[in-house]
Amino acid sequence: MMKIIVCTKQVPATNEVKMDPVTNTIIREGVEAICNPFDTYAVEEALRIKEKQGAHITAISMGIPTVAPMLKEVVALGVDEAVLLTDRKFAGADTLATAYTLAKGIGKIGDFDLVICGKQATDGDTAQVGPSLAETLSIPHLTDVGEIKELNSKTIVCRRMTDDGYDELEMDLPCLITVTKEINTPRLPSILGIKKAQKYKVHKFNANICEENDIHIGLSGSPTQVVKTFIPTSAVECQFLKIKALADKLRELSNIEEEGN
Amino acid sequence: MPNIIRKMEDQYAEYLKDESRSVGEAASISFPKTQAEVLETMRNCLAKGENITVQGSRTGLAASAVPHGGHILNLSRLNHILGLRYDAPRDNFFVTVEPGVLLSQLRKAVADKSFDIKLWNDKSVQTLEKFRAAEWFFTPDPTETSASIGGMVSCNASGARTFLFGPTRNYIEALRVILPNGEVLNIRRGRHFAKERKFKLKTENNEISGDLPSYIMPEVKSAAGYFVHDNMDLIDLFIGAEGTLGVITQIEVRLIRLPKAIWGITAFFPNEPSALEYVKALRNENKKYPWLHRPAAIEFFNCRALDLLRSQKANNPAFAQIQELKPQYHTAVYTELHGHSVQAEEMPVLIGGLGDLINFVGGDEADTWVANNQRDLEKLQFFRHAMPESANMLIDQRRKLDPTLTKLGTDMSVPDRYLNTVMEMYNRDLAEADLENVIFGHIGNNHLHVNILPRNKTDYLKGKELYLKWAQTNVANGGSVAAEHGIGKLKTNMLEVMYGASGINEMRRLKSLFDPNGLINCGNMFAPAKEVK
Ligand SMILES: Cc1cc2nc3c(=O)[nH]c(=O)nc-3n(C[C@H](O)[C@H](O)[C@H](O)COP(=O)(O)OP(=O)(O)OC[C@H]3O[C@@H](n4cnc5c(N)ncnc54)[C@H](O)[C@@H]3O)c2cc1C
Repeated sequence: MMKIIVCTKQVPATNEVKMDPVTNTIIREGVEAICNPFDTYAVEEALRIKEKQGAHITAISMGIPTVAPMLKEVVALGVDEAVLLTDRKFAGADTLATAYTLAKGIGKIGDFDLVICGKQATDGDTAQVGPSLAETLSIPHLTDVGEIKELNSKTIVCRRMTDDGYDELEMDLPCLITVTKEINTPRLPSILGIKKAQKYKVHKFNANICEENDIHIGLSGSPTQVVKTFIPTSAVECQFLKIKALADKLRELSNIEEEGN
Repeated sequence: MPNIIRKMEDQYAEYLKDESRSVGEAASISFPKTQAEVLETMRNCLAKGENITVQGSRTGLAASAVPHGGHILNLSRLNHILGLRYDAPRDNFFVTVEPGVLLSQLRKAVADKSFDIKLWNDKSVQTLEKFRAAEWFFTPDPTETSASIGGMVSCNASGARTFLFGPTRNYIEALRVILPNGEVLNIRRGRHFAKERKFKLKTENNEISGDLPSYIMPEVKSAAGYFVHDNMDLIDLFIGAEGTLGVITQIEVRLIRLPKAIWGITAFFPNEPSALEYVKALRNENKKYPWLHRPAAIEFFNCRALDLLRSQKANNPAFAQIQELKPQYHTAVYTELHGHSVQAEEMPVLIGGLGDLINFVGGDEADTWVANNQRDLEKLQFFRHAMPESANMLIDQRRKLDPTLTKLGTDMSVPDRYLNTVMEMYNRDLAEADLENVIFGHIGNNHLHVNILPRNKTDYLKGKELYLKWAQTNVANGGSVAAEHGIGKLKTNMLEVMYGASGINEMRRLKSLFDPNGLINCGNMFAPAKEVK
């Protein structure tokens, strides 16, 4: 049976992200934590594969211990197993160290055919962890997948939108894909799923999955550093003009252009 | 002429109709932004003996905001939230709003605890702090959230949560009404009562008094005709009056504490009888299930309703985000559970109980959608709102071919014991008449919207006939012909089925006590006095 791994991350609810104007960091107090919206599409795609052709799905996440309930929610949707990578030593990881740690976790889980990630996490918006994880695992990957056209035990055919049209690409398994919102409509949990999840215990892996004093994890494994975050100020101004004023404005603009020529 | 009155021109064409899709006519229109402007405009029209039709958001489904000549007084721009008050013994907040405030606008302000306080007095501003310390909500929830509060009061709107909380009426504390004599009436709940069926109301310089209609209202959810009973609180006369007794320019609404947890569960059943059994179980008569407290809502979607949503999802991008409807999903019931005293952690117990119940009546707890946070709840609410929207869109398509067609949407309720009877009647009659239809709505109150979707004129006429027949049967069984959308101009014959010619005459007499010249919102509920010999 096909073995699928889905990566999930807990993020602050997107519609509520507020920045502290003094420290320029995200205010996390009182903000609800949710599963990264793009990851819910990854989970749903795995579930659809499972329904269609059978599969065993493991969800994996790196985070603090309180991420476990989020993984239980994923189990309520129909995911078979959930693994939380949690250890103080993982703290401070950038995208590279995160990908490394996830790869170690996946290594402990065992064989797999397909890894599915969301296109990006809505808190950092880097879209780096998926591709970086594939490189660490030495498997091929494809980003921004909007449809899986074919999937068998050896290959996958994916379609994705690009600036020039659509790409349809074939890859050998095992491989990794990152998915966009176009790929499906994520489901809600059922009562049966919630009952199962209530009884389920999330597996927790700590830094023992890595070598002792492994320098590739946490802060020491993170070559990138956030030097500064700031709130961009929007320079775009909107004006409402009556027809005549609009005509004048256009004339004025076209003059500028002509002069420029 | 006050300078806000505009002659009717093409650019105002949309103000000649509402969501019932019927189109009226008018000579002029105004969009007052202040209560003073409303008063001035009204006095101007009244002096000239000109008819006035009041409009909120025009989302009404009974054409009650569609003008039949005269002036359109559109209140959509009279939309300020004016203040806040706390009543400690009742533990309620009260918000004063102008009628053009939208339900969505009020909800957002209350949820975000963020108000434009420019017009507020100091006391209101000080109250904000206490308000911000907890979560509050305005319970009335018609599916159309662009409805105005004035329109909701005038129609006594209901929603899914009316099953637990009751209709808009229960959350209206005070009103300011400009009467057809041009005087202002401020009326607060608990101050002015009828003596049996006699009433007296003091206005600025006058007094209006007389008899209330003598009919007995049915003991079901109803928004049909004037709300009257012995010794009634007279504020209730203006709620659900469809604007026939005056123009509401200020409203105080009551907020209650937001429940600690809200869970929404849509359950799918393989057939209709199982779904009906589930509904009855949810009503929990005789407290058969001690773990189950009264749900906030019980909503229904029949098999044809689900099929319509399936095709909408497949063909219309606006509905693409609807969840996948598996082929075995035949009939659906949505229920909402609120936890006030229970902790959020206790809700899983309830969910577990519901699962067993669903299995017991012939469903499958695997065929359910559970929402336990606001985002997911909104998905289930979107699904619910997509239902009437889809039916309306389908009819709009057909109207392009035959503009005389309209949707025939019933709005009737019956007592609990008639649930099976009424469903059997609808299903049998629709099948016999071979009419395309969907059935959905507030089944907790035995209040279903049968939407007949005529394909042609013959269908339309057959549907109208059925509609009248159902009204007669449901009224005979103690039901109401209009449980939430009101009578408007489209269902006046239905109101007559309910209260007879004498009831209608009594209502007409009541209106003429307030509006002797028949100038305000004439044609709503009953034909204007002038048209009757
Ligand atoms: C998709 C859809 C779903 C709906 N779902 C529901 C539902 O679940 N429950 C429900 O109850 N209704 C529902 N409705 C109907 C409608 O939303 C309600 O009747 C609503 O209360 C009307 O508000 P409005 O502001 O649009 O009023 P309008 O349509 O503008 O006016 C309705 C009536 O109120 C009068 N009126 C408005 N404001 C005032 C005022 N200030 N003073 C005096 N009279 C006034 C008008 O003259 C008219 O008689 C639905 C409509 C649609 C289109």
